[in-house]
Amino acid sequence: MKRAMTLFWQIAIGLGALAIWEWGWSLHDKVPWLVPDILDPYFVSKPSEIYKQFLRMGCLVSSQGDWTLGTPGAFEKCIGRSENNLWIATYFTLKNTLWGFATGVSSGFVLGLLLGRSDRLSEIFYPYITAFNSIPRIALAPIIILAFGIGDASKIVTAWLVVVFLVFFNTFEGARAVDRDHINAARLLGAGEWQVTRTVIVPSTMAWLFASLTPAVSFSLIGVIVGEFIGAEHGIGRMIIEAEARGEAAGMMVAVFVLMIVGVILAAGVRRIQAYLLRWRPASTMAT
Amino acid sequence: MQNTPPRSRIEIDRLRKIFLAEGREVVAVDDASFRINDGEFVALLGPSGCGKSTILNMVATLISPNGGDIRVDDVPVIPGRPIAQVGYVFQKDTLFPWRTVEGNIGYALELAGVPAGERKTRVAEAIHQAGLNGFDRFYPASLSGGMRQRVSLMRTLIARPEILLMDEPFGALDTHTKLDMHSVLLSLWERERQTVLFVTHDLGEALTLADRIILMSARPGRVKAGFKVDFPRPRDAVKLRETAQYAELFSKVWHSLGEEFAKGRSA
Repeated sequence: MKRAMTLFWQIAIGLGALAIWEWGWSLHDKVPWLVPDILDPYFVSKPSEIYKQFLRMGCLVSSQGDWTLGTPGAFEKCIGRSENNLWIATYFTLKNTLWGFATGVSSGFVLGLLLGRSDRLSEIFYPYITAFNSIPRIALAPIIILAFGIGDASKIVTAWLVVVFLVFFNTFEGARAVDRDHINAARLLGAGEWQVTRTVIVPSTMAWLFASLTPAVSFSLIGVIVGEFIGAEHGIGRMIIEAEARGEAAGMMVAVFVLMIVGVILAAGVRRIQAYLLRWRPASTMAT
Repeated sequence: MQNTPPRSRIEIDRLRKIFLAEGREVVAVDDASFRINDGEFVALLGPSGCGKSTILNMVATLISPNGGDIRVDDVPVIPGRPIAQVGYVFQKDTLFPWRTVEGNIGYALELAGVPAGERKTRVAEAIHQAGLNGFDRFYPASLSGGMRQRVSLMRTLIARPEILLMDEPFGALDTHTKLDMHSVLLSLWERERQTVLFVTHDLGEALTLADRIILMSARPGRVKAGFKVDFPRPRDAVKLRETAQYAELFSKVWHSLGEEFAKGRSA
């Protein structure tokens, strides 16, 4: 019963918001005090327009307004016409996001482990890490575009930069929090230094690493999009910038909508991997 | 060849340990000396805070003494260098939570590079001996305290240590589970007859398990007295407690122990 009520309200709020978005502006002339200017379709478009634009940009409907999937070859023809249609853009953004995520997570983990387990190293690097961490990473994106060009490399580097610190700090904390008794137990069972690292420190730090994976994948996507804003040949970020230049609110909204879907899928995927890898944790702490 | 004296496995001589607590020096262990012979099960008994676990941890090379000598098999113990033939069972649960029961028990064999096939048979045997059948793939988080302690015990025993150091391993268990664990430990020990140094503050536990009790005084920890526990073996952990000899020895040691508990309270 409670679930049904929750679902009811969720749907009601969603439909209400869509309705205001779609028809709200038509009331603007009659009751201007009720309808804020931001609802102007010039800025935010309309759900119906966005849907139509989505079909066009996704090559599901041809420029003549026919469904492409019915006519053989029409979809391929439409795809071939543009260098950065919705599918290609999504592919590039997704690919670079995953690369940024993978490189950021692995290097952040190694660095965190290294500094977390060595007081000497963490002492030496402390001021540099603090200084670097105070820079908003995104501020470096133009420099990275300048250095790595407008291809994929600059997007991956931007994403890496955003992810690596996040993962580094989590791993660092985790490496410091390894239970002393687990290390002692391993030693007394015959583990040498390297075996202690491999069988105790790495697995127990992993738990902390995994906790940072969900934010890491979102951060990676942000890094890639910002990179694409500044200079790119492909990608959803470039799509948004182009639509903005043409003053096409619907085009921007389609791109944002696709990003939302990409973000949801990535986060869900990471959460599943996380749940599997942390299956040994007691259920009560699974939420983290 | 006649009556060669029993081989001594652990020798402790005038052992001293001082801790710093809030800027003050606290003598945890003062001038403790004793020896343990091959195959002997010795309980180190005393009130909490008497330094008995400290002695054990010094033998285990986990902490370093401030004076005196420890020898295991006639070799001086070096802090931080665990001894191959010594196994240690913690009071605290130190199972690796990311490993299953199997993974935890087989850990020492993995470290030693025992081939997977042999490892599997030995782990399966250990799981059977500890009465953990069917729990092979469980993670520690889903086991009860008693079961976790069984896994701990087997994780140490699988490497077949000749000397076993146990730091109140059953201290956190309820009375019933504890008795259960005594039976498990006794039956396992009967097979191998390891040399055991078992730290406890529970007199009943000491009498049930040990051949000899070394009684420690309240802080600063000194060896106060020794008691021979000559109940016949194999022992039944439950029935033993109903016998007259048990009651007699219990009251004898109890009196001596009671004095130390009283001192511990007033200190």
